[in-house]
Amino acid sequence: MSPRAFAAVIAGAVESPYTRHPPEGTTTEVLLADAFVRALEHTGMTREEVDGLGVASFTLAPDRAIDLAWKLGVRPRWLMDDGNGGASGIQLLQHALRAIDAGDASTIVLLSGDHFGPADFKQLVDNYNRATARHLAGIPHGGPNALFAMLTRKQMDEHGLTREDYGRLAVAQRRWATLNPHAVYRKPITLEDYLAAPVVAAPLHRLDCVPVVSGADALVIRGAGDGVRVRALRAFHNHDGQEGDGLRTGMADIAAGLWSDAGVGPNEMDVISVYDDYPAMAVAQLADLGYAEGDLRGLLRRRIEEERLPVNTSGGQLSAGQAGAAGGMIGLVEAVRQLQGEAGERQIDEARLAVVTGYGMVLYRYGACANAVVLEGS
Amino acid sequence: MTLEIPVCEACGRAVFPQRLLCPACGARAWRRESVASGVLEAAADRGEVRVGVVRMPPGPLAIVRLVSDAQPGDEVMLSMDGEVPVASA
Repeated sequence: MSPRAFAAVIAGAVESPYTRHPPEGTTTEVLLADAFVRALEHTGMTREEVDGLGVASFTLAPDRAIDLAWKLGVRPRWLMDDGNGGASGIQLLQHALRAIDAGDASTIVLLSGDHFGPADFKQLVDNYNRATARHLAGIPHGGPNALFAMLTRKQMDEHGLTREDYGRLAVAQRRWATLNPHAVYRKPITLEDYLAAPVVAAPLHRLDCVPVVSGADALVIRGAGDGVRVRALRAFHNHDGQEGDGLRTGMADIAAGLWSDAGVGPNEMDVISVYDDYPAMAVAQLADLGYAEGDLRGLLRRRIEEERLPVNTSGGQLSAGQAGAAGGMIGLVEAVRQLQGEAGERQIDEARLAVVTGYGMVLYRYGACANAVVLEGS
Repeated sequence: MTLEIPVCEACGRAVFPQRLLCPACGARAWRRESVASGVLEAAADRGEVRVGVVRMPPGPLAIVRLVSDAQPGDEVMLSMDGEVPVASA
């Protein structure tokens, strides 16, 4: 059964610029507030018009969305916290669209972002969930790099991929990042730079891993007026109980329904944002969405390298940075900006359709959450 | 310490880590079963620490601290350091 179509639209998308080394005194709540103020300015709204607030953040605790509402001076009729990391942006969007369509709110601001101090990141990766704290932190596994190194190796073996192949994605995303003033890494890289980067956990090297940054993203969802329409949204979480190979994501289960609801196919997309915590997982999602036709080498060697596929046109998390939970919104923000013609030097001509994915929440071996949207500009 | 993994009392399905309800039959009573060895499926070197994935004979995979130079395909001995699975030669 297909879900009902959405009437509510995404009125605007903004970003509080990402920083690798934020100024002393930076806090998560101040970054989220900056994204909130930018969202109001960008859409020409007043604070009083906002009657819904949703937030995703790893480091806002012990505060929650209600604390943020209080400190921002917002009086919401709809309030939501989401803790689903790389899937949180689309997760919040899904609920916000439905809330507006059902009349529970008329104008919702969705915020996501994080600021990590040096100790915060270790705290996060060692206590990501109970299974991690009990069985992984004591290895010490050191966070997700080792797990995704093993998944990457498996994908390489199964599809005959080389490090050079993943490098094509990293180099292409960096090329996009040079055109994004908000990306933390904007210096072009060559395939040689990629290959020569220090090893992190073989086969992963430094340019396969996202730089941890501080920053925040915001979306404004409204029931009326101009904006980006959500033609389809599908989600499927815990698709295999962590008992699969980790390289077939939940996206594979939702792709057919997503394209059918949207009434368009993968090759009609002008902009593609896939959750890029590691190149192998970006490739896995692209394959699950129907971009590879079983040929992952061809996908990377032809379609990505030659920029026939505009993937992660902000530079993605690999080059723009991963601001914690904002990694779940960065792809949405970029797609909305492209569809609204606000992407500056990296603007794709006549961009009308975009697909965006969310992926994440490593429960034990790999990410358990998957969601995706097809967006259409007005 | 011996590595023990949960096995569903009702249907015999083994899991790791612990679930609340059996993924196969939905029952919630568990017994523990010792696992002495398994087959290394994957390994990653993270500086001086080796992390591995081991397939245990009852079925499930465990992510382990790998304290040998075993390669994928090799049989490894399993034990437990606190709640951390350890694989050795």
